[in-house]
Amino acid sequence: FQDQAEQFFRSGHTNNWAVLVCTSRFWFNYRHVANTLSVYRSVKRLGIPDSHIVLMLADDMACNPRNPKPATVFSHKNMELNVYGDDVEVDYRSYEVTVENFLRVLTGRIPPSTPRSKRLLSDDRSNILIYMTGHGGNGFLKFQDSEEITNVELADAFEQMWQKRRYNELLFIIDTCQGASMYERFYSPNIMALASSQVGEDSLSHQPDLGIGVHLMDRYTFYVLEFLEEIHPASQTNMNDLFQVCPKSLCVSTPGHRTDLFQRDPQNVLITDFFGSVRKVEITTETISLDRDLAGFESEFPEGELATEPLKYAEQLPVAQIIHQKPKQKDWHPPGGFILGLWALIIMVFFKTYGIKHMKHVF
Amino acid sequence: MAAPLVLVVLAAVTVRAALFRSSLAAFIAERVEVASPLNAWKRVVEGLALLDLGVSPYSGAIFHETPLIIYLFHFLIEYAELVFMITDVLTAVALYLAIQDFNKVVFKKQKLLIELDKYAPDVAELIQTPMEMHYIPLKAALFYLLNPYTVMSCVAKSTCAINNSVIAFFILATIKGSAFLSAVFLALATYQSLYPLTLFAPALLYLLQRQFIPIKLKSKSFWLYTMQYASLYLCSLVVIICLSFFLLNSWDFIPSVYGFILSVPDLTPNIGLFWYFFAEMFEHFSLFFVCVFQMNVFFYTIPLAIKLKEHPVFFMFVQIAIISIFKSYPTVGDIALYMAFLPVWSHLYRFLRNIFILSCVLIFCSFLFPVLWHLWIYAGSANSNFYYAITLTFNIGQILLISDYFYAFLRREYYLTHGLHLTRQDGTEAMLVLK
Repeated sequence: FQDQAEQFFRSGHTNNWAVLVCTSRFWFNYRHVANTLSVYRSVKRLGIPDSHIVLMLADDMACNPRNPKPATVFSHKNMELNVYGDDVEVDYRSYEVTVENFLRVLTGRIPPSTPRSKRLLSDDRSNILIYMTGHGGNGFLKFQDSEEITNVELADAFEQMWQKRRYNELLFIIDTCQGASMYERFYSPNIMALASSQVGEDSLSHQPDLGIGVHLMDRYTFYVLEFLEEIHPASQTNMNDLFQVCPKSLCVSTPGHRTDLFQRDPQNVLITDFFGSVRKVEITTETISLDRDLAGFESEFPEGELATEPLKYAEQLPVAQIIHQKPKQKDWHPPGGFILGLWALIIMVFFKTYGIKHMKHVF
Repeated sequence: MAAPLVLVVLAAVTVRAALFRSSLAAFIAERVEVASPLNAWKRVVEGLALLDLGVSPYSGAIFHETPLIIYLFHFLIEYAELVFMITDVLTAVALYLAIQDFNKVVFKKQKLLIELDKYAPDVAELIQTPMEMHYIPLKAALFYLLNPYTVMSCVAKSTCAINNSVIAFFILATIKGSAFLSAVFLALATYQSLYPLTLFAPALLYLLQRQFIPIKLKSKSFWLYTMQYASLYLCSLVVIICLSFFLLNSWDFIPSVYGFILSVPDLTPNIGLFWYFFAEMFEHFSLFFVCVFQMNVFFYTIPLAIKLKEHPVFFMFVQIAIISIFKSYPTVGDIALYMAFLPVWSHLYRFLRNIFILSCVLIFCSFLFPVLWHLWIYAGSANSNFYYAITLTFNIGQILLISDYFYAFLRREYYLTHGLHLTRQDGTEAMLVLK
């Protein structure tokens, strides 16, 4: 039990977050929305609640006038799986999905008026899944057909997150053309990245649906979804299995992954560490005494470590600022010298023009 | 003549008050033709709010008013509508008195020239009579107060009204002959917006004429008077600028106001000629073209001074018109000021050649401005070229109007001295051409 208790405290994360971004608009990019919604569905099914998911969809496919089946988004031909339902909570929709908003969500630098559902309130024990899909190129991802985010910006955003202790571990999945270029520049620790295609390759879409008229999913995400459908909250499948999803024979492009920045062995990383919200709850009828040896475990760190002060949870929702009014500033008044000078001048001009004889009428 | 003026003033105040209370006020206040970055009311409010928060209003690129305006509105901001109505009324009254005096001067000069036999014998119909000149001051006040441009400018609470009133007081002081007051008001007008600097020349010419000092370059009394006036003007300008320093204890206002006027960084569309050019200009050339465009305003002073040295008030009118066409951020309020003078030259009507086309152009363009703005910005089916085309046409209309009046004025002067029926050397009828 002692060992199990130790393991309880040694495991990395205590909460899970997901940031799912679809960056394309227009009807013919249906598949990107379907991709994102599929991952959303899986992540929700495996336990991450809506309050911990930031879902950004750049366009509305379910209620698009061109959708022959309104209020649905299908991810499989023959309309087998509707990934839209009546409990989909989209946090950033339509024109709110911009590079600036995405980066602000990641780094936490949001205006105080942002509602809680639009914030990524992660801490240093959060495992975050970031899934992005859309049209991309070598080193960039296109947002909304009008702007791009570059791999350098993304890497810097992740570094900001690391320095602010906003994640424990981060899994970055991207399903775009030349997706591997987006994770090339990461330099912060504890990031694992997967991409649907290498640099110079295009990610292809899966199947068109003749009833709806567009391609419903991208291949990579389709096979990832198939893989995730097998996962349940207690499964022990690890990341190596995820890396095998969608080999070149099925995907046509070569999926890539990057694990050099990650400290654990992918073999030991459970899928549910990122895709699910598995609370480590163990019911026991015995009492375990947490004796001082456990506290002494912390001091086993080598002395050469940075002797920083203990990290505090950063206040992310500035309640104090919102509730308490700032004291009203005192009004500005023009300086006395100015008023005196101005009126002296005016009086001088007046008397120069009209003569000094008016003085006795004034006084 | 006080009663009709009071009636006109009352009518004008009613119109403005009615518009202030209607929903049009907000709509008009946002129009770019009426509010420019230099004189928009929104920016004045913003600047004063910044000041209340303890920040210098010149720290951003929002506020471009002078410190005296800060002082004025600090106390009067709740009564802003009243202030602008009173300003318009003051401008109209100043113009009224100025033109009344000017008519007397014109009449006196005319009488002198008739007695000196300077006029040709057959020009009786060209000579102005007191009867027809009686209503001109009232018409000028009417033109200013009830001009839709002025009304819109007042309803938008654009500080252009204050600029106009300072210039109107300057004109009144000049025509009354007081060099000191004229210099003070001119310094105030220059301090407000840089361009009335060019009005120094016509004011000087008028005052010299009034003092009967001949305008010869070798004359000592000419230079003495010029130096006196110039020193009065410069001293008042320096005093006003130094006084403004003491309002906020910083020289920030100089780059914010004068730097802004001269370097034209803000390219919001307006009815002027600067924005379109500089929106598509390469950085490399922008300094050169800014200098060229700004020089355009100041450039016409010397040639006009040489040509119109006998007629300084007409010179002043043409100069004000040139300022309001070529300045960096013109608004319709500036146009209203020189249009107020048009009744003074109503005797030139028979010599104006294009007045019908020009008035049609000006009226049509005024209506097309909001239409094309809507098409460009809201409907998205036009682009900036449409709006700029109307701007160009409007300014061409104004320029042609001014040159038409100029031509008519000079033609009348020529006829006065040479007779109405001109014949060439071989006896056929001659045509006057403005070269």
